[in-house]
Amino acid sequence: MKKTDSLLLDLAPQKFGRIGIIWTWTLIIISLIGIVAYIDQVIKGQVVTNMNDYALWGIYISNFVFFVATSFVGTVTVAILRLTNNSWRTPIVRIAEIISVAAIIMAGITIMIDMGRPDRLLNLFIHGRLQSPIIWDVIIIPIYIVISLLLLYFPLLPDFALLKLFFEKKNPKLSKWYGKLSLNWTGSLAQKTIQAKSIQLIAVLIIPVGFMLQTIDAWLFSTLFRVGWDSTNMGAYFISGASVAGVGALVTVVYVLQKVYKLEDYITDYHFDKLGKFLVLMCLIYLYFNLNEYLIPQLTSKKEATTHINVLLTGQFAPLFWFVIIGGLIVPVIVLLFKQGRKPLPMFIIGLLVVLGSWWKRYLIVTPTLLHPFLPIQGVPESWHHYFPSLHEWLITAATLAMALLIITALVRYLPIIPIQRTADEQEELELNKNTAK
Amino acid sequence: MRNPLIKHYILLIVLSLFLGSSSFAQKAKKNKVRLKANYVKVMNSEVYFDLQATAKVNGENITIPNVELVIYNVVDDEQIELGKATTNMGGKSRFTLKDLKSIKPDSTNTYNIEISFEGNENFSRTSKSISFKNASIEATFVKIDSINYISATLINKLTDSVVIGQSLTLQVQRLFKPLLLKEFNETDENGSILVPIPDGIPGVDGNITIEVVLNDSAEFGTVKAIVNAPVGIPIVDESTFDERTMWSPRSKTPFFLLILPNLLTLGIWGFIIYLINNLFKINKS
Repeated sequence: MKKTDSLLLDLAPQKFGRIGIIWTWTLIIISLIGIVAYIDQVIKGQVVTNMNDYALWGIYISNFVFFVATSFVGTVTVAILRLTNNSWRTPIVRIAEIISVAAIIMAGITIMIDMGRPDRLLNLFIHGRLQSPIIWDVIIIPIYIVISLLLLYFPLLPDFALLKLFFEKKNPKLSKWYGKLSLNWTGSLAQKTIQAKSIQLIAVLIIPVGFMLQTIDAWLFSTLFRVGWDSTNMGAYFISGASVAGVGALVTVVYVLQKVYKLEDYITDYHFDKLGKFLVLMCLIYLYFNLNEYLIPQLTSKKEATTHINVLLTGQFAPLFWFVIIGGLIVPVIVLLFKQGRKPLPMFIIGLLVVLGSWWKRYLIVTPTLLHPFLPIQGVPESWHHYFPSLHEWLITAATLAMALLIITALVRYLPIIPIQRTADEQEELELNKNTAK
Repeated sequence: MRNPLIKHYILLIVLSLFLGSSSFAQKAKKNKVRLKANYVKVMNSEVYFDLQATAKVNGENITIPNVELVIYNVVDDEQIELGKATTNMGGKSRFTLKDLKSIKPDSTNTYNIEISFEGNENFSRTSKSISFKNASIEATFVKIDSINYISATLINKLTDSVVIGQSLTLQVQRLFKPLLLKEFNETDENGSILVPIPDGIPGVDGNITIEVVLNDSAEFGTVKAIVNAPVGIPIVDESTFDERTMWSPRSKTPFFLLILPNLLTLGIWGFIIYLINNLFKINKS
């Protein structure tokens, strides 16, 4: 059993080592290159991208959908596991909250990157039509950002108070900041009651908001009369896909942090085992929705749908499609069904595979449909029949991914990634239970 | 001194030959534009000329867009310019006059119009003349023994006499193309026709607009009379224009979409404000 002091020694934010600094600077450089590319895009216009009259949504929208999906991890792990009293969640919830915050902030930024005239952003609020799912997205994303921040902040209050004391002599400046952020937390009954009530409310609130966010994201596509999008399955399909992307990202980040901060005492094989089972369940649900999404149009054999699906199954996009289905879903399910597959390292590899599969899955949702309009593509340059992102698009997209990782890195640097007070309380409770049993 | 002069002369000869041949080549390339002109008189309304420019290029008939045509009123030996018209992408153009009084007839009371194309680098100069006399159609809607008819009389305005044996067409005005009711209705000895209107023709508010047309007559051109007959089946207007629909502008958002998302948004923001207030409470307590 570890007392709060020893917990603080283990879990208080630490300065980065050499690898941490190299990692951070790498992310900063990638982000800066992307910012330069974006400035060039704003100056020259979206002509620097390979988007055209047909592929009018390209890698930016795929990336946006990926970020939105990943941000769902906050809803899934924190809220759902909390409301179902899964106590194993404790060491991973904060990591999930951090990923959620980083992903949703970058989703908001990424959608602006896709705008030809970002200076007209305000027009969305002034002239937007409530009939359009795009406006629903404009409404829901800021809400989700605020709720995700609150979900991260409320449970941090006791930890900030502990960190204030912990850094009082070591780093008074940092201690002062923690003191301000702790909002004079003393751990009084009144404070604890308000905090508990608030966390409970956020945990309930984030579920409908998270579901709304994913559903609206799905409706951006399904309300358009396009092959591959025009589906009533889309809302549930996106929610299940988001769970896969979110939990996949969580597994990956949890493993890295466990190794970097040597948290094996706190994040154990047991947690990876639970996360593995959770990921299997999510992958199976998503596979089921994929089956619905691709099999039914194939069976009903509408000409356009068949053409679209054949392009995915056997045509131009087949290698990517099968990588996403097999590599991103089937292989993870098979591996994670075995106990050995749910050990940290295999889990990390599977997590990476799932995240990679999730990213390309969004690309497959967006691009092939756009390249198969109902009216044939005629009288346009040959290059308009295809889409592959330009260098600008790759650089900017890489920068957004780097920025998301940078947000996670910055938060990990200054926040305790495992809730200190809660861990201490749980350990105390456990000890008490043991003593009572004796 | 001689040598340079000879060189200059040779150069001049070569240049003039080259320029001459190239200008000849340009002239040889020019195609002939064929102009088509139809005079149309709408009773109690405007008079217009439907113009079309075509050409045979490489054995293929093509329409000529963006050519400027000048319209003249020829009165005996005098040419009065009425205006200009430019053909559209289909090689067509319409030149409209307020009424027939805007132009003058010649001494034989015949109207002469000349449409002229001045030519350009691709097409040679050409013109087209049309002549017509003034005629009118007096058409009315009548009901005889519960049967609806259109009665019309064709009159030669020059002699103020009826025109016998001319074929008139009855058609209903429609958005893209008229709906033909009956062709070849020959005018009788009174210059008149009496044609029953078939039942069951749909029209806005039950009104159908019937056209009695003398089509492309060599003597009178095209003359058209329009009669409104309230004998159609009323069209139920299913347009959602100006209604609150999912495809309406912002000002016409359906009420449920105004109420539900705003209620949800306000509700959620209410909770968020409550939570932020809780942070203040924690800070104070």
